[in-house]
Amino acid sequence: MKILVAIKQVPERDAPVRIGASGKWIEEADLQFALNEPDAYALEEALQLKDKHGGEVVAVSAGPERVGSTLREALAKGADRAIHIVCDDLGERDALGVARLLAGAIKPEDPDLVLTGLQSEDLGHGQTGVIVAELLGLPHATLILHVEKTETGIKAKREMEEGWFQFIETSTPAVLTMQSGGNKLRYATLMGIKRAKTKEMRQIAAAELGADATPTAVLESIVLPQKKKSTQMLSGSPKEAAAALVEKLKAEARVL
Amino acid sequence: MSGVLVICEERAGRIGRTSWEALTAGQRLNDAVTAVVIGAQTESLAAEVAARPLGKVIRVEHTLLAPYTGDGFTLALEQLIRAEKPDYVVFPHTYQVRDYAPALAARFGQSLIGDVIGMAEGPVFARQLMQGRLHGQYRPSGNGPCFLSVQAGAFPAEAAGAAAGAASPAISNFAPTLDAAQIRTRPGEPFRESAQTVDLGSAQRIVSVGRGIKDAANLPLVQDLAAALGAELAASRPICDAGWLPMERQVGSSGQTVAPRLYVAVGISGAIQHLVGMKGSQCIVAINKDVEAPIFEVADYGISGDLFEVVPALTEALKAAQ
Amino acid sequence: MISLYPTPAEPQHFSISEELLFAILAVLSIYAFWRRFSPILDRILKSKKDPDFHLKPIGKRIRDFLWEVLCQAKVIRQRPLPGLAHAFVFWAFCAFLLVSLNHCATLFGAGFLNPAGDLGRLYFYLAAIFALACAIGIAGLFARRFLVRPRWLGEKLSWESGLIALLIFILMVTYLAAFFIPDTSPAAHALWWTHTLTLLAFLPVIPHTKHLHLVLSPVTVFLSRGSFSRIPPLAGDEDFGLVAGGDLTQIVSLQAYSCVECGRCTEHCPANNTGKLLNPKEIVLGLRGYLNEYGPASEQPLLGKYNAQEAVFQCTTCGACEFQCPVGIEHVPILVGLRRGAVNTGAWEDEHGGKLFLALERGSNALGLSTAERDRFIEKNALPIFDGSQEYCLWLGCMGAYDPKGREIVLDLVRVLNHLGTSYGVLRKEKCTGDPVRRLGNDLLFQQLAESNLDALAQNKVKKMISICPHCVRTIQEDWKEYGQPPAIEHHSEFLSRHLSQLQPAQNKQKIVFHDPCYLGRYRNVYDEPRSVAALAGQLVEAPRSRERSFCCGAGGGLAFLGEETGERVSHKRAAELAATGAEVIAAGCPFCNTMFRDALAARGDGAPQLVDIAQLAARGLPRSGAS
Repeated sequence: MKILVAIKQVPERDAPVRIGASGKWIEEADLQFALNEPDAYALEEALQLKDKHGGEVVAVSAGPERVGSTLREALAKGADRAIHIVCDDLGERDALGVARLLAGAIKPEDPDLVLTGLQSEDLGHGQTGVIVAELLGLPHATLILHVEKTETGIKAKREMEEGWFQFIETSTPAVLTMQSGGNKLRYATLMGIKRAKTKEMRQIAAAELGADATPTAVLESIVLPQKKKSTQMLSGSPKEAAAALVEKLKAEARVL
Repeated sequence: MSGVLVICEERAGRIGRTSWEALTAGQRLNDAVTAVVIGAQTESLAAEVAARPLGKVIRVEHTLLAPYTGDGFTLALEQLIRAEKPDYVVFPHTYQVRDYAPALAARFGQSLIGDVIGMAEGPVFARQLMQGRLHGQYRPSGNGPCFLSVQAGAFPAEAAGAAAGAASPAISNFAPTLDAAQIRTRPGEPFRESAQTVDLGSAQRIVSVGRGIKDAANLPLVQDLAAALGAELAASRPICDAGWLPMERQVGSSGQTVAPRLYVAVGISGAIQHLVGMKGSQCIVAINKDVEAPIFEVADYGISGDLFEVVPALTEALKAAQ
Repeated sequence: MISLYPTPAEPQHFSISEELLFAILAVLSIYAFWRRFSPILDRILKSKKDPDFHLKPIGKRIRDFLWEVLCQAKVIRQRPLPGLAHAFVFWAFCAFLLVSLNHCATLFGAGFLNPAGDLGRLYFYLAAIFALACAIGIAGLFARRFLVRPRWLGEKLSWESGLIALLIFILMVTYLAAFFIPDTSPAAHALWWTHTLTLLAFLPVIPHTKHLHLVLSPVTVFLSRGSFSRIPPLAGDEDFGLVAGGDLTQIVSLQAYSCVECGRCTEHCPANNTGKLLNPKEIVLGLRGYLNEYGPASEQPLLGKYNAQEAVFQCTTCGACEFQCPVGIEHVPILVGLRRGAVNTGAWEDEHGGKLFLALERGSNALGLSTAERDRFIEKNALPIFDGSQEYCLWLGCMGAYDPKGREIVLDLVRVLNHLGTSYGVLRKEKCTGDPVRRLGNDLLFQQLAESNLDALAQNKVKKMISICPHCVRTIQEDWKEYGQPPAIEHHSEFLSRHLSQLQPAQNKQKIVFHDPCYLGRYRNVYDEPRSVAALAGQLVEAPRSRERSFCCGAGGGLAFLGEETGERVSHKRAAELAATGAEVIAAGCPFCNTMFRDALAARGDGAPQLVDIAQLAARGLPRSGAS
């Protein structure tokens, strides 16, 4: 099975969030970047499918030079080769624009399966995989925890709301977006990093793909939300405090 | 025609709560809101939504629209949108919408503005970025319809300021052209995981008990609270060490890592080993005698008091609220 | 009637046939020795060269050799009675080197120790004293092994030990007996032959049994890695730690063949003492078994037939085994080496371990918490940020920055620093030092963390550091050296003990027991400083196992972050031991010990002693001011 895994490099989860001079994105100068977590699960599922059925895992990512480090991480974890769509204006493209780049790079690879994370940790659109399927004219399924190969295609376990699941079957090629938590992720190893040095990493300039970059929704400005409320201590008699808590849980936290 | 299409979603035979919220969001954009119900049988859904003062209601009905498939919904709604030519198409931001709306928008050369939490003049739409650490303002710039989905809870479900007693909206039908061959995925019946022994990891609510409980004989107190909440019972390490609860119920670095919607820590002071196991919980409630206990640092709501008084009171209050 | 002669009997004449017989037997004996010894030597020499080995500083090596080998210091100190018995056997062997050579030489009339001369006579008397002590010693050791039978000597009775004891005993007795017969007696002849045959029998027994340590362990002690528990750097692109035979270095192989199976390592191992699979002695013997079966070039994995992965990952790296070992085996680098082999190749799969690695791959601390928590702690307590103007960089560490209890320790230390007028600042950004991943064998992650931290320290021009965590101190000072020049760092106990005169004793005197953290004691040789600080707050009592014999809390080696232990919890065992001293206060010097005991004492219920860090004891006597 030939599996393409579309991954994204995002700021580390702990990265300091400071609004940049443009007011449109955060200051990236002292940020550290990491592999988007849902994409890490997509990669893990792909590697497990390869372990079971053989084939090839190709990691593809779009972004500036720094994205190379994340692709190398994917190679270190076991991907066979990588495709880097070099593009410095990723942040200015919308989900459709990014999906056009990815679809353009994936199409000539003619994979059996395209996996990607459910959503990114920075922009959180949660759309790229679905649009890639649309652009490639392939069936898709989202929120997938686990993939099995069948005679004619694949059978995937999909998460639904409120603790429900379902299995979805479809023919291949297909596109699946992976939910976090379905697998145990493998950690990066020294051996993997050393082996990755000899693996192929191909760069494609975004311009070569000829994808339309004009966004249909423009991120005009960003603001820091008001600080998360600190602990609310509920006072009064035990009875009063309990009643106040139930009210808060219902109306404010909406967890009841 | 111009206006707003709001795509309503069915939940257990009724219009889901988030769909009502999406209708509210739609009405803020434009008074001329068309509610769309979609499925194989939409009569009762249409009747339900028509109780709300709206421009009109469209039933998109086809036998191939049940069960839900991304292909079926995308094709049917594409035809509807081409016919209706709305300015806005509004969805509730549900798992189902996330499955097809991006593809649907792409067919119109548009990008969905997803998970919207607010809107302002322009209009501009606010959504969360960086896992909620930032809010971004998006302005639609395309020249096709604008697609957006709204976050659950971001808008009230009840119609605000709608004229009471307004005439019921007209209900019309739309029959999309669908062919079974166009539906490429075969969805299976929904199921729940067979209940394993204890699965704290996927529990939605957890009541966790610590040393403050003092004695195993006092455990029924928290068991009652857990029952009233429909929550799983968990514990900090000393409780499991003492054998009062089985090891598999231990939350913390050497036990399980949990992230429920609601985590109630009873008599837990908040040692680091415990905190790392539950810090991802959406809403944390702490009940502890010691107001200086570190657990209050991570809690959203705290009650500083004697758990032997607070917990029964809370159990009662919860029962009364149901 | 038995009479004592001034010199041991020496037969005056030997026949040609006797000389011939001796020559044949001697050749046979040496051949039997070599036939067994040479393949062992071969396996050691054919092992991989140690890439980082340096003989310098040679002075230290000579001192260690004199002290540990010739003086038998470690042997005696850690097990006084059997140790002394062993020392007498050893010293007698040394004394007998000349005696035995002379003994054989007399056969050819070439004896060089003149019994008639003063010097020769003196030497014979000296040897006689050692022979007597040795005979008594070996009899005692025999009784211990076959009658007392301590657990760590193993389940099985070792017949070879019995044989060796018998041979040594005969050697000594035949020597002593020669003082009771005249040179001319036929018995002198018989005695000479008995002694000689025993000697010739003894030689081939050496390489066939654990008595190989006679030959190897002096070399092993001399060729140590140079410092306690030193983890060697990996060399080249294909070195991932101890994966297969080809990764065993000469030092590791030498150590594997040096083990004398005394079981001191096992006796002191916290994992083995709490019912876990790990047995440090068996780890070393496992490597020996591997070398015997597969040899040093084999591709066969080291973790498999002879050593279990499970056991290797139960080690807390407390170093008790290595500290105790009388023959110079360095267990911790071996255990960490085996872990490296498993982790660097991805062979180790562990839910909690994987989570720890991923947390540090993606974040900054081993607890997987958000750095915003650390920022908030710093902000809330108005801790000054290090800007180059202050004397010390106060390294918070994961526990000091995130653990509620660790934070209390930091805040109390800060109160003391403020009281002393010592300037300090904390770094805006700190990452885990990499201690847990270093000990778990994840070199990739360790390198990333070390380099990133070294970078931050260099940018901030940090010169001196202080930390509440012995693990941070050790890792920064020793392990980071592989990737740069770390600033000087000390543990807060060292700093506080220098300022004792400026600290006030607490009013309320309590009975205090100090628990020596492994990484402060054995790893850093700091024992008295924390005690002097704790003594500010009361009367010190000692736990049965203290100082260099201290028993681990169970947290080290990354184990604080792994899942449930099998068997009894190490922390519970140690907490019980500390509580049994009757102390009202347990003083810790490490936030990991602290957190381990916190849970363990909680399980003991209300009567448990109070648990504090020495910084908190130092702060007790200070006036309570508004600043915290």
